[in-house]
Amino acid sequence: MAQIAGTERGAAAGTRDAGRAAGPPRARRARRPKKETGQEPGLVHRRWWTPYLFLLPGLALVVLFSLWPFVNTVILSLTDAQILRGGGFVGFDNYVRALQDDTFWLALVNSVVYTVVVVPCLVFLPLALAVLVQKKIPGIGFFRSAFYTPVIASAVVVGLMWQWILRSDGLVNTVFQKLSLISEPVPFLTDSTMLLVSAMIVTVWKGLGYYMVFYLAALGNVPTSLYEAAAIDGAGPVRRFFSITVPTVKPMMLLVGTLSAISALRVFTEIYILGGESGGPGGDSRTLPFLIRQVGLGFAGETGYAAAISILLFLLTLVFSVLGHRLSKGDEN
Amino acid sequence: MSRGRLSRISIATATAAALLSTAACGLGGSGSDNDVKQPEKSGKVSGEISFRTLQLKPTFTAYVQGVIDAFEKKYPDVKVKWEDVPGDGYNEKLVADAQAGALPDVVNLNTDSFQLLADRGMLADVAKLDPAVQKDYVPGAWDQYKLNGKQGVFAYPWYVTPEILTYNKDLFAKSGLDVDKPPTTVEQFFDYAERITEKSGGKYAVFMADPKSRLPGDWQKMGVPVLNAEKDAFTFDTPKAVEWIERMKELYAKGAMPKESLTKSDDTSQLYGADKLVFGPGSPGFIRDVKANAPKVYAKTQVAKAVTGVLGHIGIYTQSLGVRKDTKSPDAAAEFAKWVTNGPNQVAFSKEVAIYPSNAKGLADPYFSDKGDGKDPETLARALGAEELKEAQLDANTPVEWTNQIGDAVVREMQKAIKGEVDAKTALTKAQDEANKILAQQAEQKQK
Repeated sequence: MAQIAGTERGAAAGTRDAGRAAGPPRARRARRPKKETGQEPGLVHRRWWTPYLFLLPGLALVVLFSLWPFVNTVILSLTDAQILRGGGFVGFDNYVRALQDDTFWLALVNSVVYTVVVVPCLVFLPLALAVLVQKKIPGIGFFRSAFYTPVIASAVVVGLMWQWILRSDGLVNTVFQKLSLISEPVPFLTDSTMLLVSAMIVTVWKGLGYYMVFYLAALGNVPTSLYEAAAIDGAGPVRRFFSITVPTVKPMMLLVGTLSAISALRVFTEIYILGGESGGPGGDSRTLPFLIRQVGLGFAGETGYAAAISILLFLLTLVFSVLGHRLSKGDEN
Repeated sequence: MSRGRLSRISIATATAAALLSTAACGLGGSGSDNDVKQPEKSGKVSGEISFRTLQLKPTFTAYVQGVIDAFEKKYPDVKVKWEDVPGDGYNEKLVADAQAGALPDVVNLNTDSFQLLADRGMLADVAKLDPAVQKDYVPGAWDQYKLNGKQGVFAYPWYVTPEILTYNKDLFAKSGLDVDKPPTTVEQFFDYAERITEKSGGKYAVFMADPKSRLPGDWQKMGVPVLNAEKDAFTFDTPKAVEWIERMKELYAKGAMPKESLTKSDDTSQLYGADKLVFGPGSPGFIRDVKANAPKVYAKTQVAKAVTGVLGHIGIYTQSLGVRKDTKSPDAAAEFAKWVTNGPNQVAFSKEVAIYPSNAKGLADPYFSDKGDGKDPETLARALGAEELKEAQLDANTPVEWTNQIGDAVVREMQKAIKGEVDAKTALTKAQDEANKILAQQAEQKQK
């Protein structure tokens, strides 16, 4: 058998013609499934729908749990549906209402500001971290694991921990007061702007390890010969970082930027845990997902209106995604 | 990995994630008012019925199963299929089941889910199923299951937790207050809080700000008319309510409440147990928790009747058992709901956990009148709670019109005013306007 296989490989590897003529018999048959060959028709036929058959279970799940809910959300956004009550068609009323609603604009601005601040942090800080822990020195595995720990920590635990750190009688305020750096506690959780900043810190802290792994994978693909050549040419560590590392991992930076923008636009948990059910004092720290939940939840929840805000959030997410795509296209060109 | 490939992956991932993010927000919503007719009893208690409870497994599995077994023994032709659903998402599951026409025959309801299902005609009128049953229950509890503008009573009252007052008598006494003279009105409560704060030196707080849990109860106790007589407009924009805001603002600034309690109050038990809060949560179940987790603070704990102000009585929020209107076994379902909520079964349940029977006979059990030596907080809380329940009336309850959306809108304005960002009167007027706007929208939606 080994000899036959070797022979086949030899023939196929000879010339292009030889490859076509003398390639593996089963492959040849597969390309020209003639019945008249009279050899195993059931096995060699490649029906056009065969790939779709294999895709079917996955496609069914995607259609059922992603596409249909999305289409349903679009339909609902054009109705005045409520929980337990099918709504009537109201056209674009919900969208008009959203655009005239001050709360919608407040949430939109908060979401955009959140994204604009968080994304650069999540693009650059994990890269710096990845470069630091990439070095193969004893004990580095511990640091890699330690940086990844926040990713797997439960949101409730993270929330409680940060509450204890940031509350008016929490760790930060107590230490600062003991050091006489502040006379009054910093209102990390009771001022709407500070609450947003606190939530951003938690998001970045939680995302560092996650995106660090992305960069570690990308950095692993950078040929060491490039660094060696640059070092021979006299490039220092900083120059090597900006001239070799950054350009090589740039596609990954764009991917991280897009993914972190999407997750920043969807931020809810951090604000809910730190700022309570109202979304901070006076509800001034609410983001779009927070508003969607508030509008759609409860028995008087306005499903149609919540769906319309969801679609507007989707469009906003799409803008950031397309922006990321354009940037990567430009980079390719 | 090539850049082109990576960018394709990037855009595909981004689009998929964006799609999923929106899909997750998709909310199903269909269904309409139920036109099912009131079930007629046949006189034969038989058939298989489904029974759903709210978060009773595994702690109370033995108790509930015991109640079911005894019922099946009494009625051998009945088979009860019990399922227990966790508290998180319970109402959402009810909504989904109601939409799918899959409500259980006998279902555990809280105030919100009762209102929703009964309002849409999905629950049987239990007063019609069993006209004599009314006398079995505490009047306030029975009246809770009537609906505005509809004839009938749509659930059997089950267990209840009354509001009481719990406080740390040591911290109370330190400010020169008489521990045996707790506050009885909201105004007095604020006066006490001010006095305690002056003596505390910032070492401990007096109570949690948390406007969400204080309103509209505090206003009702101060005599503020929350709704008009027609119940179609909020009327809480009054000088009394302004006074409430001003007092809260002043006390918040002085440090009577933990700063973060303006938006969150999930650490009340922890603060009380750590000797850092004077007034604890007003529930008898809390006393048991303190006893188990902070025995030293338990020894300092005093209980009293709740602050009721001008009302003079507490409200009543019972759990209940509804009977599905289109149940195939109305006799078995009604008989079973009555069985679970009868005096002996409710008293047995109350001995397992700090809850109270809504059943009048059950509440008359000596277990609930025994004050012991009057010193043990848990025993005293049980007796005081039972006394209060006998007088409880619905006018002290949060009106059903005060929905989550309305509560949130009012609370947001109150938070700003208490922080001093907005003037009290302006905040109150804005809160009332916003509440009336939502109420009108909800009324309009209901009529469609």
